[in-house]
Order: sequence, then structure tokens, then C-alpha cells
Amino acid sequence: MTTAQLAKQRLWAIVAYTLRSCIGPRRWVGCLLPCGGALLFGLLAHAIDQPADEAFARVAADGIFALVVPVAALVIGDAVLGAEVRSGVFHFTWLSPAPLTEVAIGRWAGGMIVASVTIVPACALAPVIAGDGASMGAAALASFAGAAAYVAIFITFGCIARRTAVWSLAFVFFVERLLGAALTGIAQWSPTWLSRSVFVGLADDPPDDLVREGIPAGGGAVVRLAVITVIALAIARWRLSRIRMSGASD
Amino acid sequence: MTAESLSLSTSTPAVSDPAFAPDATVEVTNTSVWFGQKVALSELSCSFGRGVTGLLGPNGAGKTTLMRAITGLLPVNQGTVRVAGRDPRRDRSVHADVALVPEDEAMPPGLTARQFVRYIAALQSVEDRGAPDRALAEVGMLAVADRRVDGFSKGMRQRTKVAGALVIDPGVLVLDEPLNGADPMQRLHLITLFRTLGTGGRTVIVSSHILNEVERLADRIIVLIHGRLAAAGGQRAIRDAMNDRPRHVLVRAGDSRPLAAALLSLESVAGIRLDGDDLVVSTNRAAELAHALPGLARDLSVRLREVRPLDDSLESLFRELVR
Repeated sequence: MTTAQLAKQRLWAIVAYTLRSCIGPRRWVGCLLPCGGALLFGLLAHAIDQPADEAFARVAADGIFALVVPVAALVIGDAVLGAEVRSGVFHFTWLSPAPLTEVAIGRWAGGMIVASVTIVPACALAPVIAGDGASMGAAALASFAGAAAYVAIFITFGCIARRTAVWSLAFVFFVERLLGAALTGIAQWSPTWLSRSVFVGLADDPPDDLVREGIPAGGGAVVRLAVITVIALAIARWRLSRIRMSGASD
Repeated sequence: MTAESLSLSTSTPAVSDPAFAPDATVEVTNTSVWFGQKVALSELSCSFGRGVTGLLGPNGAGKTTLMRAITGLLPVNQGTVRVAGRDPRRDRSVHADVALVPEDEAMPPGLTARQFVRYIAALQSVEDRGAPDRALAEVGMLAVADRRVDGFSKGMRQRTKVAGALVIDPGVLVLDEPLNGADPMQRLHLITLFRTLGTGGRTVIVSSHILNEVERLADRIIVLIHGRLAAAGGQRAIRDAMNDRPRHVLVRAGDSRPLAAALLSLESVAGIRLDGDDLVVSTNRAAELAHALPGLARDLSVRLREVRPLDDSLESLFRELVR
């Protein structure tokens, strides 16, 4: 077998392992709950006394991209790495000559497959429920790009801290929501603000007050989210080489 | 105990020091590891070569920390660890030749034993597709290979992890309490397997806190206490160290006083203490005492109710070794 074939085989093994072992029944439930939330936000749009597209854009900006996507990504991102490190199982993967870049990418890819069959379809369905079927594609793309960045970030947290969930929630609610609302510099690198910006940029005629100055919109925001994903995975790979695995009992 | 065969801890390694293997594949030099205020390994120097080496010590002695340092899972705070001349922490190619069977029961949930071993084989780029099944067969797990590891007993999990280690055909095999949870038949099978691997030229490092277990597995033993090297040598030397020290034996008898007087006449008895109606007998030759005691009791028409060593544990040996 050539080196490329071996690398492909290893990567596939890591992805398959991630899907089989990391995402257990409880994690699936944990993923499906935010999905239910996305659909409820779609229903909630009917309660807003505005045209369907405007009403859904408001619900999506504050509910789906600021709450549902990060929570679902947190469940997935923690499952694919942080939970394994804490339980003392990750060393079965680490104790191999497989390059850590492959490990980080494989875990992220496994997580994104889960996101692609849970939160992304739910986010795509939400505008249909809201009566704004035209925004389906924008919602799907925004949730996919946002989830990609979030899963990578939460994988990184899994390599850095043992209390991944606490740090991840602090990142979402304190750094992104509070600081990001006040400081554009933070919002420019925030998956919440950027995924919302992807949606606002691609949706037809979104409300003006949802467009935030200084943040790329539409395709530009997708690129920014891709950059965040790559940077987060690079940090995760670097941290994996320095991770201290003392076992579940320690 | 003899100076030639048993080395008590010294800070300066000598060439003939039994703490160092002549054909070392794993070298630990002045290594210290600490977790906050707790020192897990303290300036430890030793090496491991081909064959089976037992790593012996009470709980908390630093055995698991040393094994994790050898495999690169833990960075050392001071000193160096080298496996085949390479740093297992920095050079990931080392892991193609080193396998660890951890003590933790944790295993990847949701996988069958076969899927687990295949995963390890895939990560290690093992091209032989039959290798996972052969590894499972070697540890007697092939019949249950399609059962999920979540439902396995502790012993079955350990054997599955051993299969995961064997599938890569490692040159260095690090086994942390591998016999935990195994039944007597499985123990015998695994001991034979590990010895075969050792005689086949692999470096096998096995930890345990049970002296008898390590004796059956290893020809060479390294004893750790409080993260330090307490003793190293052949199993005979370690056993002699255990036999040479005074032991205390509790004797409960129907009428203990005449028995105590008779026991004092034995050469194997160093002293007797009365503890209520019980006798605590000090002896340097426990085997002789055990042989003589029933006859003595019979001659005196004294009924023996209980004879029990009070300190026949590894902990007491360790206390003696570090005294």
C-alpha cells in the first residue's frame, strides 16, 4: 500500500471509530434536543407579527445561530474528543504512529457527519416551518459553516481543558454573546456572529437591523468560518502533541 | 539477600547494577514526574531489556506513572525516557513498536472486541487483515469477538486490550496490571503468553502489586516505593528479602500458655508476645515454624484454632526494603 492509501485508510478508521464509539445513544439525544429547538424556533416565527421571511430572520439570528447551533456543536465537539480524554479512552488513539493532524481532522470529520444529519437538516427545515421556504438553503449553509467552526473550537477545548463543557459555554455566552455584542473585533471571529452573517447575507431582503457593520456577510462569512475551522484544528493538533494523559482514575 | 543479586536504591547507577538491563531497549534516567505537589516518580533510573521484567510496588508507588512515561502518555518533569533510543513523547514513530495495556477499565463504548482490535490495527497501518482475529484468538476472545466491549467483565476487557496490543506485534509491551479480573485459567494462559513473548525477544514490562503474580511472570523484578527505586534484581533475591526478615504470626489456641513456652524452645522462634489469649510469634523462619507448630500442639494436646501471618503482605516487604 502507498503512503497515501495508508493515510486514507487511517483517516477512514478514525472517522468510523468516531461515529461508532464517540457518539453514543445519549449523545444522539443530546444532538436531537437542539434540533427540536430549531424546529420550535421555526414555529415561534409565526408568533411575530411581521412577514414570514423577516420574522424567521429575527428568530434565526437570536435563537438558531446564537443558541441552537452552538449547543448542538458543543454536544458533538465534546463527544468526539474531550469526553474521550476525560474517560481515559483517547490514549488508544494517541498511542499510535498516526499523525495527529489525521487524528484531529478525522475526529472533526466524524463530528461534522453527525452535525450534517442532525442540526443542519433541522436548521434547514426551520424556515420551511416558519413559512419562509426560500431561506432554506441559506439556513442550511449558515448552520453547516457555523457548526464546522464550533465543532473544531470545541475539539480544541477538549485538548486544553478537562471541563470542556464549562469553558465552551463560557466562550459562547460570555465571549461571543456579551463581548461580541459590544466589540466588533470579537464578533468578526465569532462563529455565532459569522453564521448569522452568512444567513443574513444570503437571505432575500433581511431586516436592516440584523446587518452588522464590520463583519463579512454571505460568502465572505463562510470563508471566515472556514479560516476559524482551520485555525482551531491547527491549535487542536498542536495541543494533542502536548496533551498530558493521566487516565480516568487520576 | 545478597549484594550481587539485589540492589537497594542508590542514586548512582553502576554497570552491574541489577536496576539496569544489559541490552536495554527502554531507558529511564533520573526521571521525575509530579502532579502539582504530589511527586509520582522521584529521580528514578532503571532500564528494561528483552524478556519479562516485573514492576512491583504497592498502590501509589508510581508504577502506572512510570508506564505512562515510558509510552509517552505523560511528559516527564525531569530526566529522560528513551525507547530504542527515541523520546516517546516527541517521536511518534516509537508508537509503531510500543503497546500499552492500561489498568483503567475504560474502553471505547459501542465497539465490539473485533472492531476495537481492527481500529488499533488500522491506526497502526497493519496490512495483514487476519492479524486482528489472530490477536483475539491468542487471548481467547475470538468466540466473543462480535460482542460489544461495554458488556464485558473486567477480565474480558483486559484480554481485549491485550489483543489490541498484540495486533501490532510490538517490540516493547507495557502491561499495567494485566491479570486484574482474570480467572485462574485465564491467568495461566496470559502468564504463559507473556512469558512466550518475553522469550521471543520482546521487552515485556508487567506491573503488579502481587509478588506471587510477578514471580510467575518475570525473571527480573524492579520494586518501586513512593516513586523511588526500592530494589531490583532476580525474583530469588526479592523472595529472599521477604524470607529473611522477621515475620509475625498470630496463633490462637485452646490453651496458649503451655504452647507459648514450648514455642520458645524452637530455634525458628525469635520471640513471643501474649495478646490476651492470642500469641503473636516472631520468627525468621516461617516455613520451619509452620512445619513444627502442628506437632507441638498435638504433643501438648492443645487445639489450634487459627494460625495466620500478620504481615505477610507485599506492603510489609516494602517497608522492610526501605527501612
